[in-house]
Amino acid sequence: MQNNPLHITIFPSYDTTTQTYSPVRTPLQFSLLLSGTLDVFEARSRHLANPTAVGGANMLLSGDFGLLHAIDDRLAAYGFETNTGVKFVAVVDMRGRPAKNAAAGSGGGRGSSGGGIGGVGLRDNELKPVFRAVQTAYVRLLQNPFYDPDETTPLAGAKRITSRKFGDEMKRIGETWMPGVTAL
Amino acid sequence: MPREPSMSASKAARVGEEGRVDKVNAELVVLTYGTIVAQLCKDFDGDYVQVNKQLDKMGYNIGLRLIEDYLAKSNTMRRCSNFRETADSLAKIGFKIFLNISPTVTNWTSDNKQFSLIFEENPLADFVELPDDGRAQDELWYSNIFCGVLRGALEMVQMQVEAHFISDVLRGNDTTEMRVSLIRYIDDELPPEDD
Repeated sequence: MQNNPLHITIFPSYDTTTQTYSPVRTPLQFSLLLSGTLDVFEARSRHLANPTAVGGANMLLSGDFGLLHAIDDRLAAYGFETNTGVKFVAVVDMRGRPAKNAAAGSGGGRGSSGGGIGGVGLRDNELKPVFRAVQTAYVRLLQNPFYDPDETTPLAGAKRITSRKFGDEMKRIGETWMPGVTAL
Repeated sequence: MPREPSMSASKAARVGEEGRVDKVNAELVVLTYGTIVAQLCKDFDGDYVQVNKQLDKMGYNIGLRLIEDYLAKSNTMRRCSNFRETADSLAKIGFKIFLNISPTVTNWTSDNKQFSLIFEENPLADFVELPDDGRAQDELWYSNIFCGVLRGALEMVQMQVEAHFISDVLRGNDTTEMRVSLIRYIDDELPPEDD
């Protein structure tokens, strides 16, 4: 299984003391957090391979892994995996958004992808629209004949996604989403 | 100044609507075309001028065959009486039958020998982002196959034309515009008589 990152977008969180927007972690820290979630994907899929597992079949069908990892009292990582093994991860800043987009986020690739987003007390389905939108964007990306998915494999240099359209779309998703949004 | 749309323009639109769409999955066609263009770019090592030429050539060979199908489907046994009528038929019947789009015919020259086709939508280019190598944006005409198709098809009905794109939304232009010029009507050449 290849687990190199395809794309990461980091969104700034709103800091109530300084009243400024800034990411709550450095890019490196986010990258490590994302890599950490990969183990959860693996452990869960093994668990899900067991047909008697509770809710296993459901999760396998939708690809939604739900909450992967509550990182601390603030950040939580949610995950989604497509049938081809591409993983999307959204790291949500649970402090919510006092002003507009309080969001700490990140995405990845054949590792993981996603957007960091603010929200309090998320329900299970809350991130579904995010993953659906990310998946749509990823499908679009694959339909661009000049995008070569092979170039992203570790053997070929593990290139990241360079598409501007895809990047813009990730940004849009991360900035538009908030708890309660049902379509992106 | 473009004239009032002639009678033939509205009739052409009607004929175009009548054609039934066959069972071809659009995405399959779009992906196939995309693969061809991307592969040509690889084969010619990013020589986009060559890629344009190849696409035009492929289109030409398609056009030579496609015209027969067009004539059969459009039920027009009559020749277009002038180049304007040809342009309307192209846009409203030809593109409609094969791609279900109708580019706008406009920007005629006063001698009625040159016009533009403006593509508000271009199914071939859905989802496409040109390579970000600093050259493709200036050199590659992604949909250049269309030019060849027109050239080939019209040649089969005794019209020698020249067609090329002058703008493309893929390059960041506001419109996708193809310029088509009539060079000459090819006279029916009689085969040499046997003695």
